[in-house]
This record gives sequence, structure tokens and C-alpha cells, in this order.
Amino acid sequence: MATLPAVVEELLNEMAAAVRESARIPDEHLLSLKFIFGSSAIQALDLVDRKSITLISSPSGRCIYQVLGSSGKTYICLASCHYCSCPAFAFSVLRKSDSLLCKHLLAVYLSRVMRTCQQLSVSDKQLTEILTEKKQEA
Amino acid sequence: MAETLRRVLSTGSTAGTWEGNTVEAGPPLLLIGAPGSGKTALLFSAALEVAGEGRGPVLFLTRRPLQSLPLRKRAALDPLRLQKIRFQYPPSTGELLRLLCSAHESQGPVPSLLLLDGLEEYLAEDPGSQEVAYLAALLLDTAFHFSHRLGSNRDCGLMVALETQEEADSGDGPQLALLQRYFPAQCWLQPDASGPGEHRLRVCLEPGGLGPRAEWSVIFQADGEMTTQPTNPSFNKTLNAGGQP
Repeated sequence: MATLPAVVEELLNEMAAAVRESARIPDEHLLSLKFIFGSSAIQALDLVDRKSITLISSPSGRCIYQVLGSSGKTYICLASCHYCSCPAFAFSVLRKSDSLLCKHLLAVYLSRVMRTCQQLSVSDKQLTEILTEKKQEA
Repeated sequence: MAETLRRVLSTGSTAGTWEGNTVEAGPPLLLIGAPGSGKTALLFSAALEVAGEGRGPVLFLTRRPLQSLPLRKRAALDPLRLQKIRFQYPPSTGELLRLLCSAHESQGPVPSLLLLDGLEEYLAEDPGSQEVAYLAALLLDTAFHFSHRLGSNRDCGLMVALETQEEADSGDGPQLALLQRYFPAQCWLQPDASGPGEHRLRVCLEPGGLGPRAEWSVIFQADGEMTTQPTNPSFNKTLNAGGQP
């Protein structure tokens, strides 16, 4: 839970290397992604294409990811360990354990690899509010 | 955190200094045991150990103040070490979450160790699985942030104590399974047959695939002195029967 399975980690590293070298991701990597994550892979890539992932950071150095979902709702993903505030994470990942990740978390990892995160700076207090609000929505 | 606990148990009775090469904290650790199995005493030992390493302070979260110092060994009475342990008492799950969400706002020296005693009291309000996961994830995120502020080669350890019921079907199964996802390293405590005037425990450390499992016998004397000795890993089956998935 705290770390990704080695095979996913390796795939993400290979994708990051490909992006560094040629600024694009080879088709075979996209196929592997689809093989591992099924339809979530397509949805996550769609979120990345739409630049729906924002890295929010405060002067303290703490940061979180915010993902604008396809329904228009925003969810937060922690940068340090697997957590997303969306209902699919609660249901499929936590309760039923039949998925590794939700599409939002996958989108976060992909946008990190592709370096397409939007950046937003907020005050330390605002970051606290964002983290605290998510508790009430969940 | 698994490594800090290993040091505590390996240096045992002397309350002295660790002679190994490393002061790394190791992965976040969940300390699991029935009531009275010495969880608070071990957390406090870890606090003293880190406070004596000349590093940052220790942040000790618990729902209510300790009634007495759980150990009376020499290190426990060292005011320089005690001063470095900062206690905070969030009275509810909401307050604990608020404290973790705002941890980056606090000024002053960055903690080298984050401890939470009595996690079960915060879970007793029966939060949903997503809230339990958020609490665990925020504990990890807070320690991660402290590590980031401490800079290179210095990590903030994380150790959380959870009380389990003695009956196997007490209903803490799903919550425990969820917590184990976030805390791959676990330490199981079990009361052992005790002699007169002493309290004996079996301690089993499972560092989460990052090293060999290790076991100790820990003895608390009536005067609060703690001694430890490594034991043979021969009782694994009984220890694991109590709730591992």
C-alpha cells in the first residue's frame, strides 16, 4: 500500500526515462499500462491530457495533489503514500481490494512521469484547510 | 521505525547507547497488543532512545496524559531526554486529524520521531474505512513531511500503538487489515508466563519484508526496570493466530 508493486514501479521508471530521452511515451508502454490497469489507464491518461492534476505546495515544503475528476469534482491525493479521497478508492481499493489504484492516483503518477502537473502555491494555512476539508467530504 | 525499536530491544537493560553503525529509523511501525501488553512502555523507550541520540525532539500523541512514567530506568529520569519529548493530547479523532493536517504550520525544531499511543481510542468512534485510511495516510504524510524538513539522510520515524481485543472475533479485523496496508512493519506483543514480581512479554518484530523477523522476551520488574533478551523464533504460530490476514 505504501509502495507500488515492483512491476508498476519499473514501468513508471521506464516511461520517465523515455520521456527524458524522446519527450514521448512508446506505444508498448501504453499497452502495458492498459494491460495492468484496464480501463482506468485510459481514463487516467485522459485526465493527464486535460491537465487535470495540480501539485499544490506551501512554503513549509508540504505538498499534495489535487485532481479534477471528469464529473467536475476535485479529489486530493497525498504525495507520500497511496490515498485518494474519491469514492472508487474507498470502495474498490480499500474495501474490496480488487484494484491497486483509482484513476486519479494513476493520473498523478503518470503526470509526474510526463511532467505535466500544474503547479499552485498556497499559504501554509490554506494547505491545512484543503487537507482538513477532505475529511468532511469523505 | 522498525530499526529504532530493534535498537531499543537490542540494547535492552542497559538503557545505554546503541553500538551499531546506523541510526536510521526504518519503516513506519504498528505496535499491536492486548491491554497491558507493554505498548506504552515500548513507545516511551523508543522516545527515550531517540531523545538520547542528540537529534530533534520527539512528538508523543496520546488521548490522555500518562499517569506515571512507564519506565524507571536511568534514562527515563534524565531531564535532558525528558525535555525533548513533547506530549500532545488530541481529545477526539477530529482533533487528531486537525493536528496532522496542520503539522506543517508548527514552528520550532522538527521532530525526529512521531509517536501515537492508543490508536484504538480514535478508531472507537467507528469511522468508515476511508476515514481510517485517511488517518493512517496522514500519519505517514506528516512523518514524511518532517523527514523532508530534516533534510538529507535524516528521517522522522513513525510508531503507532494499537490495542487489540483478546477475543479473535472482536471485530477489529477489517480496521487492522486496512492499517496493515499503510504500516507494512509490525510488532506483535503478547503477555507471557510471568514470575513473582515481574511482567513478562513476548515481542515479535516483523520488519515488512525488509529484513529478518526478530523476537525478544521483555521483562518488566516491579520497580519498572525493563530487561530484554532475544529468543528463538519458535512460537510464531501462536503469535500469528491472533489476527494476521
